[in-house]
Amino acid sequence: MMTPYLLCLTLLCPAQAEDLDDLFEKAIQTAVKQSSSFVVKIETSGGTEVVRTGGPRPGMMRRGTGPTTGVIVSADGYVISSSFNFANKPTTIRVSLPGTNERKVARVVATDQARMLTLLKLADLTNDSKLTVPTAIKKEEIKVGSSALAIGRTLNAETDDVPSVSVGIISAVERVWGRALQTDAKVSPTNYGGPLIDISGRAYGILVPASPQTEGELAGFEWYDSGIGFAIPMEDVFAILPRMMKGTEKEPAILRQGFLGVTMQSGDELFEKKPILGTVQPGSPADKAGLKPGDTIAAIEGRDIVNFAQMRLQLGKKYEGDSVSFKIIRDGKEITFDKVILGSGVAAYDQPFLGILPIRDDNETGVEVRYIYPKSGAETAGIKVGDRILKIARPDLPPTAPLVAVANRGALLDLLAVGRPGQEVKIEVKRKADGKTETLTAKLGDLPETAPARMPEGASAKKAGLKPGEKPGIVQKKPETGLQKLTLAATGQDYWVYVPENYNPQVACAVLVWLHPLGKNKERDFEDFSSSWATYCDDHNIIIVCPPKEGAWTGIDSDFIVQTIRNVAATYTVDMRRVLAHGLGVGGEMALYLGFKERALIRGVAPIGAPLAGPVKERITTQPLSFFLVVGDKDRALEGVKETNDRLRKARYPVMLREIKNMGHEYIDGKLGVTTLEELVRWIDSLDRL
Amino acid sequence: MKRLLTITALAIVLALVPARRGHTQTDVTFTKIGEEVNQKVIKVFGAGGFKGLASYGSGVLIDKEGHFLTINSHILDTRDLRIHTYDGTKHHCDVVCREPELDVALCKIKWGARQGEIEHYFDLQTAFKRPPLPTGTNVLAFNNMFQLAVRDDAMTMQRGVVASYAPLYGRIGVFDAAYRGNVYVIDAITNNPGSGGGAITTRKGELIGLIGKELRNELTNTWINYAIPLNAYTEVPDKDGKKIRVSIADMVKLKENYRPAPKRELAKNTSYHGIILVPNVVERTPPYVEEILPGSPADRATTKLKPDDLIVYVEGLPVPDINSFNNILATYGPGAEIKLEVQRGDKLTSVTVKLDKPIGTSKK
Repeated sequence: MMTPYLLCLTLLCPAQAEDLDDLFEKAIQTAVKQSSSFVVKIETSGGTEVVRTGGPRPGMMRRGTGPTTGVIVSADGYVISSSFNFANKPTTIRVSLPGTNERKVARVVATDQARMLTLLKLADLTNDSKLTVPTAIKKEEIKVGSSALAIGRTLNAETDDVPSVSVGIISAVERVWGRALQTDAKVSPTNYGGPLIDISGRAYGILVPASPQTEGELAGFEWYDSGIGFAIPMEDVFAILPRMMKGTEKEPAILRQGFLGVTMQSGDELFEKKPILGTVQPGSPADKAGLKPGDTIAAIEGRDIVNFAQMRLQLGKKYEGDSVSFKIIRDGKEITFDKVILGSGVAAYDQPFLGILPIRDDNETGVEVRYIYPKSGAETAGIKVGDRILKIARPDLPPTAPLVAVANRGALLDLLAVGRPGQEVKIEVKRKADGKTETLTAKLGDLPETAPARMPEGASAKKAGLKPGEKPGIVQKKPETGLQKLTLAATGQDYWVYVPENYNPQVACAVLVWLHPLGKNKERDFEDFSSSWATYCDDHNIIIVCPPKEGAWTGIDSDFIVQTIRNVAATYTVDMRRVLAHGLGVGGEMALYLGFKERALIRGVAPIGAPLAGPVKERITTQPLSFFLVVGDKDRALEGVKETNDRLRKARYPVMLREIKNMGHEYIDGKLGVTTLEELVRWIDSLDRL
Repeated sequence: MKRLLTITALAIVLALVPARRGHTQTDVTFTKIGEEVNQKVIKVFGAGGFKGLASYGSGVLIDKEGHFLTINSHILDTRDLRIHTYDGTKHHCDVVCREPELDVALCKIKWGARQGEIEHYFDLQTAFKRPPLPTGTNVLAFNNMFQLAVRDDAMTMQRGVVASYAPLYGRIGVFDAAYRGNVYVIDAITNNPGSGGGAITTRKGELIGLIGKELRNELTNTWINYAIPLNAYTEVPDKDGKKIRVSIADMVKLKENYRPAPKRELAKNTSYHGIILVPNVVERTPPYVEEILPGSPADRATTKLKPDDLIVYVEGLPVPDINSFNNILATYGPGAEIKLEVQRGDKLTSVTVKLDKPIGTSKK
C-alpha cells in the first residue's frame, strides 16, 4: 500500500521534483570531480602536418596542435588515449598529472589499429606520484538510456581544475562492428581520449572518433559535436592492456584487426542469407585452417550466423593472433574448426605476374597476347605476341590436375591470383604463326617496377560488348565527346567528364578520376586539367571524371565520387579493370583513401605529393590494386610519400615511386614532370597486365 | 481499516493529478521558465547581410528604461538599429557604449515622443554578484539563431550543461577573440549566426552570461560554443603600465559616461632573449635550442638552457612549434621575465629569462 502513496507524492510535489534536478546536477558534478583523478591532459610538440591545406581555412583533415585527453589505466604510469590525438606523429609527448601541475614526458608504446587507441608510458615517474585507475563498468551492465558523461581535459588551463563535461545518455551498444558504445553526449577533439563515465564516476569507455564506413585515426571526426559519439568499452581496453603493455618506445606493440583471408560470394545478398565463401586467399589463416570456397558459415564462436553482417560483427571484435571457432556447412555436412588463428592482414604472397598484356575488347574465347614484358616468365616460356592463351593449370591445385579453360581476361586474372611468384604453371596457347596449339611451362614472377617503355599499338580488338538497352543493328546516337558538365540525377550534384574525341563504343576506355587539390573545383580548372590530358586520352582511350568539392575532401565524399564513376560507366564503354583515382595534395590523399575504400571499383591509385593518412588495408587477391606515387623532392610531403611507399610495399602492393628532382608541390604537366606524366599514361594503359 | 481506506483514497486522487498534467514536473518548470525568460530576450537587427555576415542578433533587456546588452559586433555599425521584443513590438535603438575588451555593447531603446517602459527585464545587480557556476551545472540558452524568430515569435530555447569555465583567449585555441577573461563553454550548439548576445541562464532562469560569437578553436579545429559571463572583467594596461580593470558592471553603471579601455599595445619583436632555435624548416618544427648567445639574457639566467633542450611551455602556454614560440614571445616587451619550461631527455626543467632590448638599440 505504501509504495503507490510515496510514488504519487514524488510526482506531485514541485519542491521534491526540483530536488531531483538538483540531485542529478550534484551527482554530475561529483562524478566529474571523481574522474578528475584519472583523466590527464596530454600535450605534444612537433609532428607532421599530414594534410597540407593549400588555403587559409583548413579542411577537416587538418590536425590541431592543442592539448588532448587521456585516461590513466595502470598505477605504474600507463595512459590510454585516442589515436586521433597522435595522428600527426608528434616528436615529444608530455602528460600533466591530475591534481598537480606536474608534467611528465611520455612515450607511445602501443597502438591498437582496430580500435584506434594509443597507449603511453610515463617516463621519470617518482614513487610518490599517486595514480588512480578508473573502475570499468562491465559491458553487460551497460544499458541504453543510462546517463553518460563525456569528460575532456583540453579546455582548462590548469590540471587542478575539474575537467570539462558534456552530458548525455548511452545511445546504443555494439556499434562499429561490435567495437564501440554510442552516446549522444558531445564528443569532439575536446574530449577524444577522455572517458565516458556514468553518474557514479565509473568508466563506460574511452571516447574516440569512429565510423562504421571509414577507417583510420581521423575516421568519424566529421561527426564531432553532432550527438553521435563513440567510446571503446573500458572492459575491452583493460582486456587488451597486457598485450599493449608489452610494447616499448623502440618497439611499440601494434594490435591489428584479426584477418581471416576470405571474400564472400556475390554482393547483393550479403545481408540476407548465410554467408558463403567466394575465395580463400592462399596462405591466409582461412586457407591454413582448411576453409574452402563454397563453405557456408553457420556459426562463429558458438553464435549462429544468419547473414554477413553478423559475421562481421563477430570477427570485427577480434585481433590478430586471436583464436576463433567456426562451424561451416560443406556438401550438406557440418564441420567444426575449433582454432582458427587470425592473421594480421598482411598478404602472404606477392601478386604473381606472368608477363603479358592482353588484347582488350575481345569476344573470342581465351586471351590474345598484346605485349610480352622483357625477361618475364611469359618471354622465357616462349609465348609470343599474337598467341592466344586457351588453358592454364590452376596454381592452387596439384600439378597433375587437368588444365582449365580460360574464358577471357578476367578469368585469367582470377586463376593467376591464387598463385604466387616462383610457381611454375602449364599454359596452353594457340600460336599466331601456324595456328597450332602448344602447352608451355611458365614461371610466375613479380610485377614489374616500370611501365613498358613504349606501348604497343592495337590494344583493342574493337569488339566490346553492347551496353544494356542497346540492340545490335540499331545505330546509336554518337555520345558526346570533349569536356562536358553532367549532373547526378539522385542528388543534383554537378561533375565534369572528358571523353576522347575519337571515342568508339566498341573500345573500352580506362577511367581516370581526377580529385583536384583544394580550391581547384571550378569548370576552368577542369578545362585546364583535361587540356593537358587530351592527347593522352585520345591516344590511349582514357575518360576523365572530375567530381568537384568545395573545401577539402573528406571520407564521406566517396559515395559521390563512386556515383560519378558508375554514371560514366553506364553511359560509355568502360574497362572496369582500369578505373583509377588520381589527385594532387588533398586530392591525392582522397585518391589513396578511395582506393582502399572502394576495392571492388578502383584498380589503381596515382597520388601526387600526397602521403597515406590512414592504415594500409590488406591486399585482396581478386581485387588487385596498384599504386603510382609521385612527389617532387622539394615537396614538403616528400618524407610522408616515401613512408607511404614503404608501408604499401610491406603490405605487398605493387608500387611505383617517382621522385622528381627540383619539383615542389605541383602538378606534373610542367617541364619537370612531363616524363613522369607520360609514364603514368603508359602505366594506366598497362594496368590490366597479367 | 479506516486509515487504510483514507490512504487508498488519497492515493487514487493523487494518482490522477500527474496523469492530468501529462508531464513530469521538470518539463512543466522548463516551460514556465522558458516563457518568463523569453519576455526578457530580444531580437536585434542592424548592419550586415553581406559577405556572409548576419544582419541579426540577440540581446537581453536589463532595466525598465529599455537598456539592453548584446555582443559588440558589426550588427551595431548602423544608424538604423532595431529590436523586436517578445510581444512583437518594434523599437529603434542607439548604442550607448561598447567595450571591445569584453566584446560587449550596451544599447538603449529610442523612445521618441512617447516615453515607454519595459516590463520584463533581468535583474543585473543579483547577476553581477553570482559566483561562477561549477562545471556540470544545467543551463538554458535563449537566442535568435538563423533568425528563426521575428516579431513575437519565441526565441530558440536550448538546454545544456556548463562544460567548462576557462579563459577563452589562447588557452582554448581562440586567437582572434577580443575578450581574454573566463568564459562558460556550453555543451549545446549555442553559437550560431544570430545567437550572439542571447541569454544563458540557470535552470531557474537567472541570467549568467551572454552568448558569444562564432569562433573556431584553432587547437582542435572545431567550433566552440561559449558565453561571456555577466561578471566578466579583464585587466588592460594603460600607457603607464598601470592595470585598468574593465567589467560589464562598470558599463551598466556608467552608461554613456563609460569610456572604453585603452587599446592594448602589443610589444612586437622588440625584445631580445638570445636563444637560437634550430632552423624552422617544416610547418611544425619543434622549438629545439640550437645555441645560446654568450652574454644574452638566456645566458644570464640562473638555470642555463643547453643545446638540444626542447622548449615546451612559455608562461604556461604550450609551444608545439617554433612559430607559436615566436608568436607568444612577440607579445612580451623588454624587461618582462618569462618562465620557460624545457624538456631535457625525460625531465622537464624551468628556466626564467629576463628579456632585454634588441641589440643595437641604445639604452636610455
